Amino acid sequence: MKRGRALLCYAFFAACVPLFPYCVNRVFLETPIEAKMGTVQKIFYFHVPMAWMCMLFAVICGVAAVIQLWRSSPSAEAVATAAGEIAVITGLAVLVTGPIWGARSWSTPWTNDPRQVLTALLWLIFVAYLLVQRYGPPNADRLAAGLAVFGMIDVPIVYYAVELWKSTHPTTGVVGSLPSQMWSSLWLALAPLLLCTLGLFFVRIRQERLSQAMDAAWVAFDRVGSQPA
Amino acid sequence: MSLLRQAFLLARTDLRQELRDFEMAVTAVFFTFTVLIMFVLAFATLRPDAQSHAIPAFLWITVALTGALTLGRVFDRERETDALSALLVAPVERLAIYAAKLLTTMSVLLMCCIVVVPGLVVVFAGARPLLDRWPASLVLVFLGCLGYAGVGTLFAGGLARGRGKNVLLSLILYPLTMPVLLYALVATQRLLENHPDLWQTLLQMAALDVLLVVVAALLFESLMLESRRYSVPRKEVS
Amino acid sequence: MSYVADPESSILPLELRGIARAFGRRSILRGVDLRVGRGEIVGLMGANGAGKTTLFSIIAGLLCADGGTCRFADTDLEAGAVAIRARLAYVAHGPQLYPLLTARENLELAAQLRDAAGASSREAGGMLERLGLAAHADRRIEAFSRGMAQRASLARALAAAPELMLLDEPLTALDRDGQALVAEIMREERDRGAGIVLCSHDLETVLSVSDRVVLLEHGVISGEVRARECVDLHEYRRLVTNLGTVVSTRRVGAVRQMA
Repeated sequence: MKRGRALLCYAFFAACVPLFPYCVNRVFLETPIEAKMGTVQKIFYFHVPMAWMCMLFAVICGVAAVIQLWRSSPSAEAVATAAGEIAVITGLAVLVTGPIWGARSWSTPWTNDPRQVLTALLWLIFVAYLLVQRYGPPNADRLAAGLAVFGMIDVPIVYYAVELWKSTHPTTGVVGSLPSQMWSSLWLALAPLLLCTLGLFFVRIRQERLSQAMDAAWVAFDRVGSQPA
Repeated sequence: MSLLRQAFLLARTDLRQELRDFEMAVTAVFFTFTVLIMFVLAFATLRPDAQSHAIPAFLWITVALTGALTLGRVFDRERETDALSALLVAPVERLAIYAAKLLTTMSVLLMCCIVVVPGLVVVFAGARPLLDRWPASLVLVFLGCLGYAGVGTLFAGGLARGRGKNVLLSLILYPLTMPVLLYALVATQRLLENHPDLWQTLLQMAALDVLLVVVAALLFESLMLESRRYSVPRKEVS
Repeated sequence: MSYVADPESSILPLELRGIARAFGRRSILRGVDLRVGRGEIVGLMGANGAGKTTLFSIIAGLLCADGGTCRFADTDLEAGAVAIRARLAYVAHGPQLYPLLTARENLELAAQLRDAAGASSREAGGMLERLGLAAHADRRIEAFSRGMAQRASLARALAAAPELMLLDEPLTALDRDGQALVAEIMREERDRGAGIVLCSHDLETVLSVSDRVVLLEHGVISGEVRARECVDLHEYRRLVTNLGTVVSTRRVGAVRQMA
């Protein structure tokens, strides 16, 4: 079973190898340049999938954290940790690509768009999640899990709250509707990115599980070695 | 019933200790005052028409800063001699501890709001509606503080079991309480502008508070104490 | 290491089986078996870091065990219900009192909290008097010396009239008179029917009050002596010391065989 999961990771990475160049080719050479925004709009094909994945892994992390707290499950903890890390990485990618795109198309890198604020906050929450795990007190694992649960709850609320907030601060800048060809390129670009992050995700889960098993093995060895013959 | 009675007893204990040295109340109120002065100095030349956009931020940033300061110390009296462990061993409902600490934090925060809201009214002419529409201001301040303290008390309690990791509290607190603070910002602005949807926003805020406090209460015990230890996966050991 | 339960104790307030606990990769408890009967004082001895406090924390419900069962009056302690907690008392190494409250207020708070949970308590004033704090009952804990705070902490635990008491180094901060007083009170409580686990690494005091001494070494109960079996203190001490060393050499042998 363990072997099968490892093979799955490799399969994900292997699939990325041809998919990535194909996807770049498709996005840059075969998809028409967007009329209003120009070439900079190409960033959209990487930015949007990253943002989706950031949300996805934030939710995975939150759900796993609930299970971790509720059932005291070490596998859920491994999943939550891995998902939290992936959410931070993808979130960072979103936060870097977003303003680059925004600087050209909205002529300002930051517009307080609900999605922007949401991603930034989500990213902060999951950075805090990792920091608590790293520097927290002995009960840091559970504290971090609590943090992730609230992070998950905050996602829809922040989105709604920013919409509400923005209604009092009118700003411009809307992503217009896209031709279907661009949408299909977007879906295609999603595939290698998703496969790559899923591969990383499973590798990290595996590492966490192995690390837990190592700890357990040390403890077990310690226990056997100390018992009177 | 025992839960409410215990929560009352613990809150009374906090109050009784506070009445003996006034440490938390005095420092928190004076800190609030300091922050207010800093805003006044920094924004002394703010044009009146821009004030209605800035005042909500002044109010809630002050609450956020004071709240972090208060939450960092709300478990201090227990932590000093590890009385928290004694409470956890005693036949006390864990929820009573959460409720009592939430009450203490709320009291301190509301006390600070009593300083900061009139303070803003005195200094900035644009803050006048906060006083004129005082029932709405009262509800707004209460709901904003409740959401903030509800989440904060949970993590302050979780961190109180370790030793001096309070820097993590601010790190956790600000991003997590952003929805409440955003709502509070919107509601405050609507209050200042006499927006017709003000009460609807406050109602949504109340619903959000209930959600946050309920989730925090549910998580409190598992953040304070280990519920069950992991059973070691045997097959991976061999 | 297992042993036959004390035949004199009909009901076992506390029964530990195979309690194990690790912190990270360090195994602190490696399968502790311990039974404490009604009306019995069990001395728990061990060097610094042997896991005495960890064991107490597990019994008191502050920590969870990795393995093994911990039963108290035929109820699983891991359930951690309020009703169970009302029946045991844990006096930790620190005083765990509110420093700004007086000794009496601290005791009264504990009693009121117990009352709210439907558990009765002994009268606070009487308990403080019993521990020689009558004159200081209305002074704040912050003005107390270490020993006085220790007495107040013991008074709070005793006021609960617990069926099981866990005492973590209750005598260290006390003066001679205090130690004698606490030993006397412990015997009284035992005669009332309470089970007491007394932890210390000070051989002398443990031997003088315990009915039975168990040795916690390398995360297991490695030896046990019964007080009534020997009369001479020197003999007794020799026994305890020997038991410790015998088990230690055995353990070294076991490790060598594995390697």
